[in-house]
Amino acid sequence: MNNSEIKTANFSWLAVVIMLFGLLLLASHSNELLKQAVLGPGSSADLGFAADCRADELEEEQLSLEECQLMVSNVRIILSSSPEWFRPYQLTLSSLGIAATLFSLVTAFGLINRQSPGLGLAIVSTALLFIIDIAGFVAAVNTGPLLRAQYLWPLLLWICIHLCMLVAVIRFGQQDEMDS
Amino acid sequence: MSEARNPVKPESENLPRLVVLLHWLLAASVFFLFVSSWWMLSLPLPSDEFTYRELPFQLHKNIGITLFVAVITMAAMRVRSLLRQTSSPQGWLQRLAVVDHILLYTLLTVCCLSGYMSSSYSGWTTTVWWLVDIPAWSAENDDLNILFSEVHLWSCWALLGLLLLHIGAAIYHGIGNDGAIDKIFRLR
Repeated sequence: MNNSEIKTANFSWLAVVIMLFGLLLLASHSNELLKQAVLGPGSSADLGFAADCRADELEEEQLSLEECQLMVSNVRIILSSSPEWFRPYQLTLSSLGIAATLFSLVTAFGLINRQSPGLGLAIVSTALLFIIDIAGFVAAVNTGPLLRAQYLWPLLLWICIHLCMLVAVIRFGQQDEMDS
Repeated sequence: MSEARNPVKPESENLPRLVVLLHWLLAASVFFLFVSSWWMLSLPLPSDEFTYRELPFQLHKNIGITLFVAVITMAAMRVRSLLRQTSSPQGWLQRLAVVDHILLYTLLTVCCLSGYMSSSYSGWTTTVWWLVDIPAWSAENDDLNILFSEVHLWSCWALLGLLLLHIGAAIYHGIGNDGAIDKIFRLR
């Protein structure tokens, strides 16, 4: 393989990685948006209603009575451990996350199609995703231990993934500049 | 790697733009359906007081129905283009790729149909994107609902396993730079 072939191979590999993690992140941010839309304060779990666990439903869902009751407690845990600012913050952040992820998916197409700003845009989009991860992490740190336990570890994984991708696109960008 | 010397496939071998767009739409939808379904099944069981599942389940069904239409369209287009091809797959990797794609389309179809059948027998109504009512297949039937739920569950697990193979193959082709990846990224 000569230099040009290695560069093309790097771009193909990078585009696949951006696409794969982009699709996973899109699902993650979309689910977070859905979660925040559904679990609002003042809803039935928050008002203290008891779980409605009918025997036929339990059989259908293959659940024990205790699991059924804990499902309500689970919602209550999320609602009571969320500070007032957390829901609007997460709604905004996951919306921004969806937009930034879609942008990064477009840059993957740019890389394969060898469009000139492809790598530059990939750097910008990956940096944006990294910043959004950090913003999510900082927010989660400032909640209680119950939410921290849910959010911090997946966010740390995303931070590491986007850091690796960011370093890779910056390095490829430097090599590309040197070659041209 | 002799193929790497000519990484860009000729224009005639490019996939139709609609197939490329549908492929990525399907990929995004499938990942979202997996992630959201794992979460939504942890929500409290539905009752007069607890309606948490209403939006996620409706959304799941809407995306599933749209996905079914996309899968059928995509499969029809792929079959049409395969029939036009003069060469048959050579080598075990190419044959594995053909089997992988056939299984993917089959499992996607089974997942969508079993989900619809399960929902139909559950007694809950389905309104596509909150606009069009889809008639129920039959009256409520718990046994058939459980049966189709099981089919839905296991076909989805099988689909996830196959997706991992598909993703592995994509990374393999991306690193090998043999032009296979380029086809699914070209919108020309």
